[in-house]
Amino acid sequence: MGGNAQTRWWTDARVGYIVIDNPPMNVLSDENRRGIREALDEFRGNGVGAVVLTGAGDRAFCAGADLGEEKHLTDETVGTFLARGEQTFRIIRDYEVPVIGAINGWAMGGGLVLALWCDVRVGSTRARLGAVGVKVGLMASNVQLSRLFPEGRARDMLLTGRTVEAEDAYRLGLLSSVVAPERLMDEATAWARDMAGAPAPTVAAAKRAINLALEPEAAR
Amino acid sequence: MRRVESAGIVVAVIDGPCAGADLERALDADIRVAADSATFSADGVADVAACGRRLARLLGEARAKEIVLGRRTFDAATALRLGIVTRVVPQTAVAETTRALVDTLAALPPLALPAIREAVRAARELAPDAALALEHTHFRRLLATRDHKAAVEAFFERRPAVFTGE
Repeated sequence: MGGNAQTRWWTDARVGYIVIDNPPMNVLSDENRRGIREALDEFRGNGVGAVVLTGAGDRAFCAGADLGEEKHLTDETVGTFLARGEQTFRIIRDYEVPVIGAINGWAMGGGLVLALWCDVRVGSTRARLGAVGVKVGLMASNVQLSRLFPEGRARDMLLTGRTVEAEDAYRLGLLSSVVAPERLMDEATAWARDMAGAPAPTVAAAKRAINLALEPEAAR
Repeated sequence: MRRVESAGIVVAVIDGPCAGADLERALDADIRVAADSATFSADGVADVAACGRRLARLLGEARAKEIVLGRRTFDAATALRLGIVTRVVPQTAVAETTRALVDTLAALPPLALPAIREAVRAARELAPDAALALEHTHFRRLLATRDHKAAVEAFFERRPAVFTGE
């Protein structure tokens, strides 16, 4: 069990839980990004077989970057900003055990990126996903959306910034299941236990193989 | 099938039978919207190889072969399920849906749209790290635009933003 000002984490029956806790919209910050990294490090020593990542409350999984912080970015600082986000996303992707995103509300902008780096996403009926970068003249999640989904769907989401509600997200394949809000953690836990029940080296090898499936031959 | 353009983004509107050259032109658009009465078929396409490649990219190999080699006509609901179109509406709502989509695109910051289109294309053509690096290059450039700053200001002031393409 651990935590910092904007992140809480604990383990239960070989499942690790991480909650991004930065109300009201759980925007990304150095604090909660560090929390995610520390939690994953700590789980490694605890025999955790799968991780559930979610947001506190029922409004947002994660609303992405803090626009107030982003406003002050300059040509010099934007590199660090992108690198810090990237570092956390990559740790999730390269983590040996599967990470399940429990999408409890809004996942937009950088929050959608975070959700898409998870291996599987389950959502509550309150889940809402949006590649909203375009609305402020930016882009995010292009690479993940275009590789995970049929290109036409990726274009529609990215070029219009449209909101995809839970049932639609399920139909499109953005979410693997949708349940009532009060059942979300049970649902995510069920997926996590199923995954944790398989031999760890097999799971790690499968995750890695799928991550690299679209890489050029030489990089595998 | 007709194509409408807004902010450089091409929307294909399919409200009847869509085969041959119509299908090729529809697949070439960025966003495809269909009436629930629309039907689709690869019959009569001029460049079968190009159409097959495009469909394989959009839907995966299995679906591409089913459509191009299997020569089936399929309905709008199937097209939506397969991912050929992303929105299906009743015939009577087609005009309104199209207008709303055109308005949405026209109201967005114009520099981001072609950049996103290029990054999506690159995402399939480049190795993931190179694709991500390209996305970040676009991000840095867009972050410095006047339109981005205008959008953030408007967001905090809870009003619609006005974009100039700078």
